[in-house]
Amino acid sequence: MSLKELSSLEKALGLKKPNKYSTQGDRKVPVLQSINGPALVGLVTIATHLVQEAKRPELLGGSAEHKAVVQQWLEYRVTKVDGCHKEDIKTILKDLNSYLEDKVYLAGNQFTLADTLMYYGIHHVIVDLAVQEKEKYMNMTRWFDHVQHYPGVRHHLPPVVVLRNRVYTSGHH
Amino acid sequence: MKLFVSDGNPHCVKVLAVLRYTGVTCDVEHVNHDERVVPYLSCPALPALLLPSGTYLFRPNSICRYLIELNGQESSDIVNQWLEWEATELQPALMQALHMVVLQGKGAETTRLLQGPLSYLDQSLSKRTTLFLTAEMVSVADVVLWAALYPILSDSSLTELQHWFERVGVLAACESAAQTALQGKGLKSESLKSYLQRQPAPHHGQGQVQGRGTQPCN
Repeated sequence: MSLKELSSLEKALGLKKPNKYSTQGDRKVPVLQSINGPALVGLVTIATHLVQEAKRPELLGGSAEHKAVVQQWLEYRVTKVDGCHKEDIKTILKDLNSYLEDKVYLAGNQFTLADTLMYYGIHHVIVDLAVQEKEKYMNMTRWFDHVQHYPGVRHHLPPVVVLRNRVYTSGHH
Repeated sequence: MKLFVSDGNPHCVKVLAVLRYTGVTCDVEHVNHDERVVPYLSCPALPALLLPSGTYLFRPNSICRYLIELNGQESSDIVNQWLEWEATELQPALMQALHMVVLQGKGAETTRLLQGPLSYLDQSLSKRTTLFLTAEMVSVADVVLWAALYPILSDSSLTELQHWFERVGVLAACESAAQTALQGKGLKSESLKSYLQRQPAPHHGQGQVQGRGTQPCN
């Protein structure tokens, strides 16, 4: 799973030479093999490294504050979203939805690595959402749609249909 | 800037220690475990850092990294790797172990639960050539791991780990953070107990859905 993400990320970043990966442990944590240094372990660690390698520092956030926000959502992805239990999914969707109420992307107006990895991590949930649920989490769905159409991001994942016009006009909770 | 912490929460030991270590100026407010500080989150998330712009940071390791970076210390790949390991590998095992030993009195179980991550850390420490985990000086990774292990590492038989733990623990910043959040007592801390009582019961094993100890929050 995470190896596919990393290979999609490499393509999105325009890295020409694909890196060599393996996994370790029960959770199949990705490991990046390196010729001139120790191996790197962990999805966020490797993804951050790839962004630096591709010389795209803006994807990690511009200011110190933006950097922290990007790191925070990356940390959220691997601690809260990954391996989350069924009863926690709604909380995650609800929280992302309220957070994204006044934002285009997770770090505000700028697209970052946090959007890419959150999109990869949550795709399997969104694919299964009913139209009504997508409307209930409208801000989150709008964000998801922006990210899946961001140039070069989607790669290994099928597109999710998002209706731009509301089918259910009154939100009933 | 304002940092919200709750007593007995081991993640608050992390941020308090890093805050003290960096000397960054910041108000600290002690709140209850169930205080919802971050407006858009439905569950209470502590510690939380309110930035002057009105942005909240609510993941403990990201707060620590931010405070260190304000001080001009950029995080390297190796530091990132330890922070990610702490959050994804150590924490799940640690929360289960703390739950069992503090709330259920099953001390023996902790050894089994923590054996994997602790010996991984011990081996990594014996292979390194530097005084601390990632460098000759303390990094955010040392402080975060030290604080995470503080409640359970008072009687470890892993020598490398124990030596490193003591070396980080003598820092005034670490000592005072443990004093503030856990009254300097590890597993015996009353506030740790009341913090754990308010946490959902950790899931046992992977992919298995188990009942939760507390109400899911809305």
